[in-house]
Amino acid sequence: MRGVENALGITIPDNARLIRNLITGIQYVQDHVIHFYHLHALDWVDIVSALKADPKKTAALAQSISDWPLSSTDYFRGVQSKLKAFVEAGQLGIFANAYWGHPAYQLPPEANLMAVAHYLEALDWQRDVIKIHAILGSKNPHAQTYLVGGMATAIDPNSENALNAGSLAHMQKLARKAKEFVEKVYIPDLLAVASFYKEWAGYGEGVGNYLAYGEFPNDNISNTDNLFLPRGIIMGKDLSKVHPVQQEKIAEYVTHSWYEYDEGDGVAKHPWEGQTNYRYTGPKPPYKFLDTSKKYSWLKAPRYDGMPMEVGPLARMLVAYASGHKRVRELVHLVLGKLGVGPEALFSTLGRTAARGIETLVVAEQLPVWLGQLADNIKRGDLRIHDSSRWDPKDWPREAKGYGWHEAPRGALGHWVRIKDGKIVNYQCVVPSTWNGSPRDAKGQRGPYEAALLGTPVRDPEKPVEILRTIHSFDPCMACAVHVLDAQGREYVRIKVV
Amino acid sequence: MPKIAIDPITRIEGHLRIEAQVEGGKVRDAWAAGTMFRGIEKILIGRDPRDAWAFTQRI
Repeated sequence: MRGVENALGITIPDNARLIRNLITGIQYVQDHVIHFYHLHALDWVDIVSALKADPKKTAALAQSISDWPLSSTDYFRGVQSKLKAFVEAGQLGIFANAYWGHPAYQLPPEANLMAVAHYLEALDWQRDVIKIHAILGSKNPHAQTYLVGGMATAIDPNSENALNAGSLAHMQKLARKAKEFVEKVYIPDLLAVASFYKEWAGYGEGVGNYLAYGEFPNDNISNTDNLFLPRGIIMGKDLSKVHPVQQEKIAEYVTHSWYEYDEGDGVAKHPWEGQTNYRYTGPKPPYKFLDTSKKYSWLKAPRYDGMPMEVGPLARMLVAYASGHKRVRELVHLVLGKLGVGPEALFSTLGRTAARGIETLVVAEQLPVWLGQLADNIKRGDLRIHDSSRWDPKDWPREAKGYGWHEAPRGALGHWVRIKDGKIVNYQCVVPSTWNGSPRDAKGQRGPYEAALLGTPVRDPEKPVEILRTIHSFDPCMACAVHVLDAQGREYVRIKVV
Repeated sequence: MPKIAIDPITRIEGHLRIEAQVEGGKVRDAWAAGTMFRGIEKILIGRDPRDAWAFTQRI
């Protein structure tokens, strides 16, 4: 969207900017909470151990960390009975397929029970708050109201079927609900769980270079530098310097990827020149191992100025922190202080998971602000939502090229487009998980997942929950087959990560 | 995932494979492999740029 608007020189109206910020913002909040409770927490929380918890002590624990109302002894006893019924019926359902009882689980039963209760609450909560996305985008996921030049969301204070005072008030209520859960449940849980796993501030560092395109424009200029979460680069964990992002320094290798470039495997290509010539040369499935000395992934290897970069909430929070973002700095200091760890703890599995929580709160606090600005515009009579001046291809240059950047919940997402005679002649997407999940490049440099796993303890190679902790901290959100080899290359086990 | 699947906006399920070498209770080396082809770039060639978002949103 932004790539095409950039190529065609379009500036979107302010209302479209605000609606895009709101759609993206509520998506961050919902996505990060789902990631924490439903995708990542079970790497740290032992569901079965919750059965041994004393509901009274669980209530005391919950009340000591938050004034969230659902925290009575009876409430936790009820959650425990529900869980007990699951386990006794041999139907763990959504909690099946994990390493319950693994010695790497370190939470007391009461903390486990509290987390189970909030896991279930978060399921209901997320269904409700994402209605903001559905109201503005017509549905969720896959918003339908995007339009080159703005949005197709109708604004009409006098229509029941368009954005009006009623729908704005409804969204304000949902935004309050979103923020309250993050403040009173997610952040206290994050701190409580993290306090039992502080050694994970020493694992999962990764490449130490961080890239953030920035997000949430404060004005409606395309590819703006005026962003609520700033754009920038941190190299070598040096928080004293934020480097500018220069798009021409981004290039992708295919040395270890199942693609071919006209110039061979030694070169990296900028996305405007990018090629997607696939050629699978890996083993025929089913196979035991890939030959990682050769090509071994469908992901290309994006590099910035030749270096592998981590993207995502940690990258965004580090860039914001180092750029002097006031609220981010306050919350980073609060979290580090509560955990009693120094800033170096940020460069880790624990830091990545904490940064996601901090970002969720920062964005949740901003949703009411954008809603207020949208309401103010409408009150002033500004109902513009789309700039159609460059809609017709006859008004386009014969050839154009552009790029658009976005921060998806999982990290920096860039699209590069070339247009000729009104049609796309080249389009390259460099997505967050290509950065983070990148294979090695021509110099043999590891990608962020690969680097982050080095040194990760594995107590039981048949149940490598520790590997899942680090991989999940990046939020890959996918099925992933994890293979563990011993030093002689024998396969221990093949695990389907769910 | 990536080349394939992992797209934060649209949350398409993808496939990631990790191979890890473990020695002395620690990971000594690791490889991350995306095991599905995405191909959205191929799909977009020749299309109207005004439609690109609706395709790329799915990844």
